[in-house]
Amino acid sequence: MNEELYATALKNALVEIKNVCPSVKKAFILLDNSTIVAGDEQAVDPSVKRAINSLQSLAEKAVTVGGLNDLLIDGDKGKVYVSQVNGMYSVMTLSKGADLPFLRTVTGIILPTILKVLNSMSPETTLPTPLKSAPIVPRKQFRPAPSKPPVKEEAVEETVEKPEKIEEIEAPKSLEIPKAKIETETKAETEVEFPKPVTDLPSQQLIVDKFGGLMVRADTVQLDLEILERWSSLLNVKEIREVDIATFNGKAIRCKAKAISDEKFEERGLIRIPEKTCEALQLKRGELVRVKPVVPEE
Amino acid sequence: MPIKKKVPQVETAEQIDWSPKAEVKEQITDLRTVLDKIKTRKGVIGYILRASTSAAVDIKDPSKIIDYAALSASALESTESLSEAFELGKLNNIVVEGRDLKILLLTIGEHRISVFMEKNMDHNSIYKELT
Repeated sequence: MNEELYATALKNALVEIKNVCPSVKKAFILLDNSTIVAGDEQAVDPSVKRAINSLQSLAEKAVTVGGLNDLLIDGDKGKVYVSQVNGMYSVMTLSKGADLPFLRTVTGIILPTILKVLNSMSPETTLPTPLKSAPIVPRKQFRPAPSKPPVKEEAVEETVEKPEKIEEIEAPKSLEIPKAKIETETKAETEVEFPKPVTDLPSQQLIVDKFGGLMVRADTVQLDLEILERWSSLLNVKEIREVDIATFNGKAIRCKAKAISDEKFEERGLIRIPEKTCEALQLKRGELVRVKPVVPEE
Repeated sequence: MPIKKKVPQVETAEQIDWSPKAEVKEQITDLRTVLDKIKTRKGVIGYILRASTSAAVDIKDPSKIIDYAALSASALESTESLSEAFELGKLNNIVVEGRDLKILLLTIGEHRISVFMEKNMDHNSIYKELT
């Protein structure tokens, strides 16, 4: 079975859902490689693509609440219902008075059943375009954009996690062969490179303090020496030269990091950020930010 | 005899009518009172109340504040673009459901509210209480 057949099967499923639930106006399925499968011959216009991209970023951030399962937007003129089905997302626009519990039941039965059938027919080719370097994994959550630089180390981390994810989704028995393959592949990968993978980067919430001046570099922030030292010993690196800063508004930036030079500001849980950078991040003095160290690539 | 110059009268800060701002402040206080009451309910984890220039956050686990704030900002941004793409009109409420928690997001006037709660909570009752 090839990609086309896979997409056709899902398209037909969406058409059937629309037949059963007339309140569904438009329906898409978002595959885990960001491919959009439309329910019928409807065009996926650029605004929809943009919306889907933002949905993807939401799915990444939703890790905080255990991953995005459902999203319901209730507007004056209609609703949008997004539901996670075996690692993919079905996106449906509904009329105002749609019977949501009924739709949930229908989609909760039809889509997983079809996916299960497709997988059991040909487990190795179920993903339309399997991601490079990744073993064939039938379904999984959106892949979070790597916010941290240690690409190689993350790859190690990811490969270790994959077998767990497969267990979670109750794959049919026929999937066990690729699972074994995955295990051997992951073993091979982990053996090759880094001896000590970084499992979780430490992070800290710090209070923003602005500073400025003629000789101030906009790309360098100041933190407590103690925090920098703690991170470098935790991560087993010589020193932390860069940090990732995430703001309350969801903005993020990478800056060079230095120890606080002025004694007055030491050991107060502050991060001193140059005014220009604060402006760029729309930060005010006293706001909280999350700061993560960047592991230097050596 | 020295000539007295007539200084043009400038409207001072005291003369400016501040009443709309006071109204906004009052609205925030009202919302906060309601939200504080909601937060006492079993299963409610906390809330974020944002206005254009201020924000109030009350989350039980302070270490999650930034994550929750980023998630709620991302949810609002995402729903805005979805609403634009699918022409949903004015948004009433948004519910983001994760495996562990769910979030009710809504906009009242210029205030954006995110209420974080456990999955089994009835978000409709909270929505009704807020509107």
